[in-house]
Amino acid sequence: MSDTHAPAHRPQDLDDAIAGGVGESPLRPDGTLKVRGDFAYSSDLWAENMLWGATLRSPHPSARIRSVDIGPALRSPGVHAVLTAEDVPGRNLYGLKDIDQPVLAEDVVRYRGEAVALVAADHPETARRALDLIEVDYEVLEPVVDAELAAHDDSLPKVHPGGNTVRYQPIVKGDPEVTADVVVSGTYTVGMQDQAFLGPESGLAIPAEDGGVDLYLATQDLHTDRKQTAAALDLDPELVRMTMSGVGGAFGGREDLSMQVHVCMLALRTGRPVKIVYDREESFFGHVHRHPAKMYYEHGATRDGDLVFVRAQLYFDGGAYASKTPVVVGNGTTLGVGPYDVANVSIQGWGMYTNNPPCGAMRGLGAVQPAFAYESQMDRLAEALDMDPVELRIRNAISRGDTTPTGQVLDYPAPVAELLRRVRELPLPEAPAAGAEPDIRDLPGGASNTTHGEGVVRGVGYGVCIKNICYAEGADDFSTARVRLQNVAGEPLAMVHTAAAEVGQGLVTVQQQIARSELEVERVNIHPNDTSVGPAGSSSASRQTYVTGGAVQAACRAVRERLLAITAERFGEPAAELSLSGGKIVSRESGVLADIAEVLGSEAIEETREYHHRETFPLDERGRSERAQVQHAFSAHRAVVDVDTELGLIKVVQLDCSQDVGKAVNPESVVGQIQGGSAQGLGLAVMEEIQVGEGKIRNPSFTDYLIPTILDMPPMNVDVIERGDPNAPYGVRGVGEPPTISSTPAIVAAIRAATGRDLTHVPVGPEHIIG
Amino acid sequence: MKPFDYQRATDADSAISLVSGDPEARYIGGGTNLVDHMKLGIAEPGKLVDITRLPYDSVESLPDGRVRIGATVRNSDLAAEPVIRQRYPVLAQALLSGASGQLRNLATTGGNLLQRTRCSYFQDVTTPCNKREPGSGCSALEGWNRHHAVLGASERCVATHPSDMAVALAALDADVLVEGPDGQRTVPVTELHRLPGDEPERDTVLRHGELVTAVELPSLPFASRSRYRKVRDRASFAFALVSVAAAVELVEGTITDVRIALGGLAHKPWRATEAERVLRGAPATEETFRAAADAELAAARTLRDNEFKVPMTRNTLASVLRELTRQEGS
Repeated sequence: MSDTHAPAHRPQDLDDAIAGGVGESPLRPDGTLKVRGDFAYSSDLWAENMLWGATLRSPHPSARIRSVDIGPALRSPGVHAVLTAEDVPGRNLYGLKDIDQPVLAEDVVRYRGEAVALVAADHPETARRALDLIEVDYEVLEPVVDAELAAHDDSLPKVHPGGNTVRYQPIVKGDPEVTADVVVSGTYTVGMQDQAFLGPESGLAIPAEDGGVDLYLATQDLHTDRKQTAAALDLDPELVRMTMSGVGGAFGGREDLSMQVHVCMLALRTGRPVKIVYDREESFFGHVHRHPAKMYYEHGATRDGDLVFVRAQLYFDGGAYASKTPVVVGNGTTLGVGPYDVANVSIQGWGMYTNNPPCGAMRGLGAVQPAFAYESQMDRLAEALDMDPVELRIRNAISRGDTTPTGQVLDYPAPVAELLRRVRELPLPEAPAAGAEPDIRDLPGGASNTTHGEGVVRGVGYGVCIKNICYAEGADDFSTARVRLQNVAGEPLAMVHTAAAEVGQGLVTVQQQIARSELEVERVNIHPNDTSVGPAGSSSASRQTYVTGGAVQAACRAVRERLLAITAERFGEPAAELSLSGGKIVSRESGVLADIAEVLGSEAIEETREYHHRETFPLDERGRSERAQVQHAFSAHRAVVDVDTELGLIKVVQLDCSQDVGKAVNPESVVGQIQGGSAQGLGLAVMEEIQVGEGKIRNPSFTDYLIPTILDMPPMNVDVIERGDPNAPYGVRGVGEPPTISSTPAIVAAIRAATGRDLTHVPVGPEHIIG
Repeated sequence: MKPFDYQRATDADSAISLVSGDPEARYIGGGTNLVDHMKLGIAEPGKLVDITRLPYDSVESLPDGRVRIGATVRNSDLAAEPVIRQRYPVLAQALLSGASGQLRNLATTGGNLLQRTRCSYFQDVTTPCNKREPGSGCSALEGWNRHHAVLGASERCVATHPSDMAVALAALDADVLVEGPDGQRTVPVTELHRLPGDEPERDTVLRHGELVTAVELPSLPFASRSRYRKVRDRASFAFALVSVAAAVELVEGTITDVRIALGGLAHKPWRATEAERVLRGAPATEETFRAAADAELAAARTLRDNEFKVPMTRNTLASVLRELTRQEGS
C-alpha cells in the first residue's frame, strides 16, 4: 500500500506531537497538591533535633537603646542561645539597594517591629517566653511620621545620618512652564497596602560540617538573599547554601530579608538545626508593605482634548529603611503620566525615610500609586472638557514609536487605544429589570442581606495603565538555566534547573512548557531551586517568564545543538538539515533518523546558559535616558459597581480586563494572573489599608486588615491579546503586575460615576460615601 | 503566652468553686476570644476551667413559651435551631453574620456574650488602654477610632462591644442565667454589659467566679417578624460598623410594639429605648422612622474617624423598619 519510493516518514506525518508546550495550558505540577492541602510550605519544614528561633522586636518607632540585658533569658531552662547585635559575625547591615538596615539593632531602633535580639530554644513557646525576659532599656524619641514634611522640613530629626531623602528624581520633558486651555488639578493619597501572602515568613537553617550553613526557606530571590546573608555571617557565599521550600505567596513581600540571617546565626551558634516561623501578627512587622503616597497632579489640555502637559509631585513614604524605595521613585516618576503621549512633563518624586514601617516591593511597584492619581485626573479632565473619558484616553494613548517622558522611544507594540476599545466592547452585566425584586446576592452587602436595593446606584468606570517589565535603569538583569537531557528507561527526559522562585505564578509550568517545545520531549522535570546553579534574580517586576524563560530557551537550544551535532556525525547528515519532533530526530531529506533517547544512549547532554535582556541605562539629572526600561506592559479595566448611598456600601458587580501579554505562554495561567491581580487592585480600591498611627500598625491581623473574599470578587470578562514584543523570548510581555494597577482606578471611577463623590483616597470606605 | 493550668469541669459546682477560689482562674468555652487574648498577652490566666462538657448544650422550649439556650450551645448550632429560625429570626441572622463558619462552630452562647472589644489599642499591649490597664489612658480618643463608640462612651474608654448575637438578645429582652458561689441569679441581657464610665476594665456586671449557664428568650410572638442587619466593610467575616436588631408589631399601619438594639455604637449592645418610645403607637411612616432614629442619635458624640456612623445608623435603622413594616403590611 505504501509507496516504497517515498521517504518512510515526513515531518508532517508525525502524529505524536508533544503536548503541553508553549501556548498550551498543561496542569501545574504543584496544582493538585496545593488544592488538596498536601503541598509542603516552608513553615512545614522539620529536622531531627531542631531548635526554634524567636525574634525580639522594638515596641517603639524611634528610640535609643541604652542597654540590653540578656542574662535572665539565657538562664531560662530550654533556651540555647540569646543573640544581639554584638553577635552578628559579619556586616551588621543589609539592603536591596541601599545597604542601610541592621540585622539586629545596635544603638537605635527606627521602626516599631525592628529586630533587636534573637532566642533559640527547644520549643517555640519557650523561645517566646524567653523574649519577655530580655530587658531592653529604651530612650523613646519623637518619631518622624510624615513623608512630605520629611522632604522639606530640615528641622525634623534625621532617621539616618545622611538625611531623610532616600531618592529624589525629577523628570523633565519639553517645556515645563507651558500653559493650556483647560487645566485640572488634584491631590491624591494611597494608603499602605499589605501583600497579604498566606504563608508566613519561615526558614530552617542547618549548620554544616564545613563551617557553612544550609538554609531552606521561602523567598523570591535565592542569590540576593545569599549575598546579603553571607556578608552578615562573614562567610564565603559558597558556604551559604540556600534551597527553595514551598512558597505561600510573595507579591514583593519576600524580596527583603526577614528571618534569613537570624535563623542562620542561631544555627551556627548552637550547632543545631533552627527553625523560625513568624505568626501572622509578626509577619505584618516582618515584611515591607506598599508605599503610601501623597500626589499632587496638574493636567493641561487643549479644548479638543489633547494633553499639553502633566505636572506632578509625588511623595512616597519609605519608612525606616530604604528597601526598594529608590525603584519606587524611579518607576513612579518615569511612569507618572500613565500610558499617554505627553509633550511637556514635569514630575518630581521623593522617596523618604520616616519612622513608619519600612515599605518596599509590592506587585505594581511604584506604578500603582500614580495610576490612581493620573487616571483620576483623566476622568476630571474628561468632565472639564465634557468628553467621554474613554475617548479622551484613546485620543492621548501612547503607541509604538512614541517617546516616553524619559525620552525612550517605544520600539515594540503599545496597543493602549486598542485595549481601551476592546474592554469597552466587552459585554456589560444586565441591568436589574425595572420594578423587579433584585437578587440580594448581587447587591452591596451581598448574601448577608444588608440592603434591598433602596438607594442603590450603578456606575461604570475605566482605568488603563503602563508598567515597566524587568529590572530597569541600568541594572544587569539576567537569569541562568541549566538543562540536562538524558535517556531514562528508553525515554528522553529533560531536567531544568534554575534558582527562579515559583511563588504561585506558575513558573514551574512555564519552564516545562518551554523545554517541551524546544526539545520536543514529553517528560520535563524541574530540579529543586537552589544556589548550586547561577542566579535567576527575583520573581518580581513581572520578569521571570521573560528572563528565566529566555534562559531555559537558550539552554534548551544549546542542548539541541549538541544533540543534532551528535546525530549529524552519526548519520552523516548536515546538522542544519536536522530538527526535533515528537521525541525524534528528523532529517529534512530522509525523514525520521532516530529516537532522541536512542541517540543519547547512556550519555547526558547538559548546558547552562544565561539570558540577559537588552541593556538599560540610568536616568540623568533631568530624568532622561536612552532606554530606562526594557519593556512596558499595558492593561485596561472596566468596573461596574453598585453603591448603596444610604449605607455607604460598595459592590463591584463586574470587573473586566483587556491586556496585551505579548505571547500567552500558558493562557490559563495568564487569565489566573489577571484575575488575581485584579482582586488585589480591588482590595486596594475598597478595603485594604494598613492603619499606621504614630509609627505603629494598628491592624496587624487578617481580622482587622481586610482583604477581599470570594464574596467580594465579581465575575470577570478577561480579554487577552498577543502583540508580541520582538525583543523578548517568544514575544512575551510581563503579565503579573498590570492588572493590579489599572483595576483600582477603574473601580474608583465607577464609584464616582455612581455617587458623584470626589474620591481622592484609596481605599474608599463607607465614610467617603455617606455623611 | 504565660503558662497555665487546665482542668475540665464535670459539674457546675466544682467548676464554680475552682474559679471562684482562684483570682487568676478563668472559664474557657470555645476559646475563640480568650485564646487570642492569651497569645497577645491581654489575658494571663493562671488556670483555665473548661466548661464545654457541662450539661448546657441544648435548646429547650419551656411550657410558658420561653426558650432556654444552654450556655455551651455553639453559635452555628443555635443559628440552625428551628425554634430560633422560626420564632426569633433576628437571633439566627445575627449569629450567622458573625465571624466565620469555623469560628461559629466553636464559639459558645455564653462566650459570645462575654467576648471583649476589638479596639486595636486594647489588642496592642504596648499602647495605653484603660480597659486593659486601668489608669494608663485611652489611646483611641485621639487615635484611630473609626470603629469606636458614638453612644454612651466616657473619657476613659470609647470601645465598642463586638458581638452580633448580643445585639439581637438585647432587642429580644433576653435574660442571662448565672450561677455563682452565692447561688443563682438572673440578669437581663440589657443590664449584663456595662457602659465604660470610670471603670472600663469591667465589661459586665458579673462577679469573679460567676458562670453563665443559659440565656432565656421571652415568648414575644411578634419577634417572628424580626431582622438583624449588619453593615460592614466587606461581605463576610468583618465586625459591624453599625448593626440593627429589630422586631416590630404592626396593627393596621400602626406600630403597637417594637424592640430595637444597635450594635457597633457603644460599649454594650445599645437598646434603643428612645427610638422605641417614638415608634410605639406611631404610624409606620418614613417620617416616624427618621424621627425615631434622630431621637436615639441625639445623644451621639462622634470622634475624628467615626462621624459616618451616625448617618449610617440613621439610614440602616430606617431601612430595617421600612422592611419590617412592609413585610407586615403586605
